[in-house]
Amino acid sequence: MRWGWLALAAALLLYPWLVAGTGSAAFLQDMGALALLAAIGASAWNILGGFAGQISVGHAMFFGAGAYLPLLLYQQWHLPPLLGVPLGVGVSLLLALVVGLPTFRLQGHYFSMATIAVAELIRIVVSNWDLLGAAIGLQGPAMSPHWWDLTFRSAVPYYYIFLGVLTVLLVVTWHMQRSRLGYYLRAVRAGERAARSLGVPVRRYKLYALMLSATFTSLAGSLYALKTGFIDPDSGLGILVSVQLIITAALGGAGTLLGPLLGAAILIPLQTATNTWFGGSGSGLTYIIYGAIIVLIARFEPGGLLELWRHRVAPRLGKRREGSHAA
Amino acid sequence: MTRAARFAAAALLAATLAAPAHAADAVKIGVIYPLTGNAASAGQAAKAAVELGAEIVNTAHPGLQGLPLAEGAGLPNLGGAKIELVNVDHQGDPSVGQSQTLRLITQEHVVAMLGAYHSSVALTATAVAERYGVPFLVGDSVALNITQRGFKWVFRVTPIASDFAKSYTEFLAEMKGAGKKVDSVAVVHENTDYGTSVGGSIVEAAKKAGFAVIDIAYNAKSTDVAAQVLQLKDKQPDTVVFVGYTADEILYMKTLRDLDYMPPMIIGDDAGFSDPSFIPAVGDIAQGVMNRSAWDIGKPGSVTAEINELYKAKTGRDMDDTSGRWMQGFFVLADAINRAGSTDPAKIQKALQETELKPEQLMMGYRGVKFDASGQNTLAATYLIQLQGKEYKAVWPANWATAKLRWPMTGWKQ
Amino acid sequence: MIFLQVTLGGLLLGALYALFSSGLTLIWGMMNFINFAHGEFVMLGMYVALIVVVQVGGGPAVFGLAAAVALFLLGVLIYFSLIKQVMRGPMLAQILSTFGLALLLRYAAFWIFSPNFVTLPPTALAGTVNLGGILLSVSQLVAGIVAGALTLGMHLLLTRTAVGSQLLAVAEDRNAAMLMGIRPDRMQALAWGLSAASAGIAGALMAISFPFSPAVGETFALTAFVVVTLGGFGSVPGALLAGLMVGLIQALSAYYLGPIYKDIIVYGLFVALLWLRPQGLLGTV
Repeated sequence: MRWGWLALAAALLLYPWLVAGTGSAAFLQDMGALALLAAIGASAWNILGGFAGQISVGHAMFFGAGAYLPLLLYQQWHLPPLLGVPLGVGVSLLLALVVGLPTFRLQGHYFSMATIAVAELIRIVVSNWDLLGAAIGLQGPAMSPHWWDLTFRSAVPYYYIFLGVLTVLLVVTWHMQRSRLGYYLRAVRAGERAARSLGVPVRRYKLYALMLSATFTSLAGSLYALKTGFIDPDSGLGILVSVQLIITAALGGAGTLLGPLLGAAILIPLQTATNTWFGGSGSGLTYIIYGAIIVLIARFEPGGLLELWRHRVAPRLGKRREGSHAA
Repeated sequence: MTRAARFAAAALLAATLAAPAHAADAVKIGVIYPLTGNAASAGQAAKAAVELGAEIVNTAHPGLQGLPLAEGAGLPNLGGAKIELVNVDHQGDPSVGQSQTLRLITQEHVVAMLGAYHSSVALTATAVAERYGVPFLVGDSVALNITQRGFKWVFRVTPIASDFAKSYTEFLAEMKGAGKKVDSVAVVHENTDYGTSVGGSIVEAAKKAGFAVIDIAYNAKSTDVAAQVLQLKDKQPDTVVFVGYTADEILYMKTLRDLDYMPPMIIGDDAGFSDPSFIPAVGDIAQGVMNRSAWDIGKPGSVTAEINELYKAKTGRDMDDTSGRWMQGFFVLADAINRAGSTDPAKIQKALQETELKPEQLMMGYRGVKFDASGQNTLAATYLIQLQGKEYKAVWPANWATAKLRWPMTGWKQ
Repeated sequence: MIFLQVTLGGLLLGALYALFSSGLTLIWGMMNFINFAHGEFVMLGMYVALIVVVQVGGGPAVFGLAAAVALFLLGVLIYFSLIKQVMRGPMLAQILSTFGLALLLRYAAFWIFSPNFVTLPPTALAGTVNLGGILLSVSQLVAGIVAGALTLGMHLLLTRTAVGSQLLAVAEDRNAAMLMGIRPDRMQALAWGLSAASAGIAGALMAISFPFSPAVGETFALTAFVVVTLGGFGSVPGALLAGLMVGLIQALSAYYLGPIYKDIIVYGLFVALLWLRPQGLLGTV
C-alpha cells in the first residue's frame, strides 16, 4: 500500500513535466490544474456530504464567498486579491454558522432543500447588488507585474499551488477520519437518532464538519477566481457549481479520502473531451452524460467508483490470484 | 493515459499538422462561440455567418464587388492561402472560454482569435490572448470593460452599450425637436449582465439628455410580467425601451396586448426583438416597434442582399444583426491578416492597428472601421429600424432610411 | 382597481402552481422523498403540448390530455426503473437520483428541442375579457380555473375514492397497508404517475399563455418546493392554499415593491418556513 501512495504522489508531482513534451503541453497542464481545483472543491464537500452524510446542495455559497472576496477587494479598492482569501474564509464561516445552526435541525431531504434555497437566495441578492458587480460580475487583474497577483501565463504555477492546497486538505481529512470528529461523524451518518441516544453531541459535531467543509470550499472558490480572473453570480453561486461538487465526489466515492480526486481525474478530462469532440457541432452532450452518470451511480453504486472497485472488481482479481496459487 | 499513448498521440498530432504542408499553408483562426446552453441559437447563427465569411474569402465571388478579399480566392498577399476556422464551443462558461482559448493558441497554433458573444467569456478569453500575444477580435460582446484594461492585442469592431444609448437619445431628441411629445422614457431591462450593462447605459444617457427616466429592472425568464406592465400603464411614459431576451420580449408584447396598454413608441434593444421567433410570434400585435441594427438587407442586387441570399441558402433564414456583426468582425480580421502579408501575430496586430476601412467596404452599416488606442472601433454605429408589416425597415437616421418612420406606433390597432 | 387586477392575475397563476405542486406533495407525503426533477415534468408537459399541436393539431383539451397521459407513463416508468431501488439506498443515492434525472431530462430536451424559446400557436382561447374593468386574458383565466379544479379533483380522488384511500393508507403506514392486502409498490407507482401527470397538465396549460424552453424546469421546481413546504408535506389542500398564496405574494410584491423583490421575498419566506415551521400550514409532522 505504501507504494500506491508513492506512485500517486509521484504522478501528481511530475504530471506537468510528463506532458511537457507533447504538442498540447500548455492545454494539458491547464486541464491538470482544473482537475486539481475540482478535486479540492469536491474533497471539501466530501467532509460534510460524504463523511457526515449531510447532503448539502448549496455549497456554492461558500465557493462564491471565496471567489467574490478577492476580486471585490481588487476591483473596488485596488488591493491584492490574495488578501481577500482569508476574508472569503471568514465570510464562509459566518455563513456556515448562520445557515448551519437552524438548518441542521432538518433531516434528509429537508436539509438538502434548505441548502438549495439559501444558496439561491444569496445568488439573487448578489445578482442585484451593485457593489458586488450585480449581474455583470467582478474582474481580477488580467496582466500584473506583481507575483502576488498570480497572473501567470503558464498553468504550471497554478497547478502546484492547487496541488499544495489539495495535499493540505487531504492530510486534514485523513487526520479527521482518525480523530474523534471522524468517529462521531460516522455515527451520525449511520443514524442520527441512534447517535444522539448514544450521547454523541450531534449538533456540535455536524457544525464542526460544516465549518471545516466551508473553509476549504471557500479556498477552492478563491483559487478559481485567482486563476480565471472573473466571477459572476452564475459561475460563482449557481446551482451547477454545487451540483458539480457533489457529482465529482460521488463519482469517485463519497465518504472516501481519494474518491473526490478520482472523480475529478475522470470528469474534467471527460468534460473537455466531450466539448472538443461534440462541442463544435453544438449538441450539448456533456450534461446529458453527466446526468446519466449520476443516475447510474445512484441506482447501481452509490459508493462511487472506489466502492465498485473494492466490491466488484478487486475480489475477482484476488480470486484469480488465489486460484493460480492453489494450482 | 500512459506515457507511450501520450507520445503516440503527440506524434499523430504532429503528423496531421504536417500533412497540409504541400498545399499553401492554411491560415488558422480560432473562433469561440456559445454553441450549447442558453445562447446556443445565437451562437449557431453566428457560426454559420463566420463560416460563410470564410467561404467568401476562400473562393472567388465576383458578385461581391467592393468587399475586400471577396472577389478573389484566398489571401492574395499570402500566396492565395486559405483561411481555416477552428470552431469551439465555450458553453457560456468563462473558465471554459479561458481553457479553450489556451488550447487554440498553444495546440492549434491559431494566428488570431474571434469571439465571444458572452461578455463574461470575452473578458477571460481576451486575457489569455493578451498574455500570449495573439490578436483577439471581438465581433460582438458589448461590455465596456473589454477594451478598458489597457490591452494591446484586443480589438473590437462592434458598437458598444454607450453607442446604443447615444443613438437612442439622439433619436428621441430629434423626435422631440420635431414636435412629438417625448418627455419621459421608461427603460425596462432584465437583470443579467446584458440587461444591466445596456440598460444602465441607456438610463444614464437619457438622464444626461434631460429626459425623465423610469428604471424598471425585472428578472429574466419571468413567468409573468403583468406587474411591470401595470406599472407602465400607471406611469404612462412617452417611450418604452425594452432590453431583454426573446422569451421576455414576446411575453411583454402579449401582456401589453392583454392589459390593453400601448405606449406611443417602443424601442427594443436588438436581442429579443431581433430573434427569428419574435416576428412570427407577436409581429401582428407589435406593428411599429423600433429596434436597432447595423444590418440591413438592402436593395436587391446589392452586396448585402447577395450575402443574405448566400446565408439563406446555408441556414434557411435571413441574416440577423448579431450574426452580421460576427461576419463583419471576421472580414476585418481577414483583411488585416492579408495586409500583414504574414502569419506572425505581431505583424497582424500592427495591421489591425492600421486598419482604415471605408463604409463602402463593409457589409454592416458602420461609418467605417478605425481602432483607437484601446482597440475600440471609433466609427462603429447603430441605426434604428421599425417593424412595418412582416419585416423591419431602416428608418433612422434619414440618410440610411429606406422607409418612412411612423410615430406613434400602431401596435395591434389598425 | 389595479389592486384587484394584480390580485386576480396572481391567483390565476397561483392555481397553476397549486396544480403542479400537488403532485410533489403527494410523493413527499407518501414516501418522504423529494423529486428534484419535478420541474422537468412540467417542462416536458409543455413540450408534449407543442408536439401534439404541431403534429396532430387540436385544442387545449387534446394536448392537455396528451400531456397528462404521456407524463403519467413517464412517472410510472421512472418509479419502477429508478426510484423503487434508490429508496432502499443511502440518502446520497436518493438525492442524486432525481438530481441526475433532472439534468438528464433537461439537457436531453435541449438536445432534442433546441434551446430556443417557443410558443404554442394561438388556440381557441386567444383574446381577453373585460370583467368590470379588470382585463384578463382568456387563456390565463381558463388555465387558472381548470388548474384549480384539477387540484380539487386530486384532493377528492385521494379522499373520496377507493384508490385514493389505498394511496393514503400506504402513506400513513406502509406495513399496515401491506397487511391489509394493499400493494405498496403499485400504489407508489400510481402516485408517481399522478404526480407527473398533474405536473404535465399544468405545463400544457401554462404553455398556452407563456413562452417556454427546456430551461424553465429549474424555476418551477423551486416554486414547487416553496408551495409544498408552505402548504405542508402530504397535503393537497395545503398545496392549493399555498399555491394561491405564493402566486398572490409574487404578484403583489412584483407590483408594489419591484420585480427583483418578488423572488427574494418568496425564497426568504421559504427559508424562514423551513427553519421555523417545516410542517407548513396544513401538514402534519
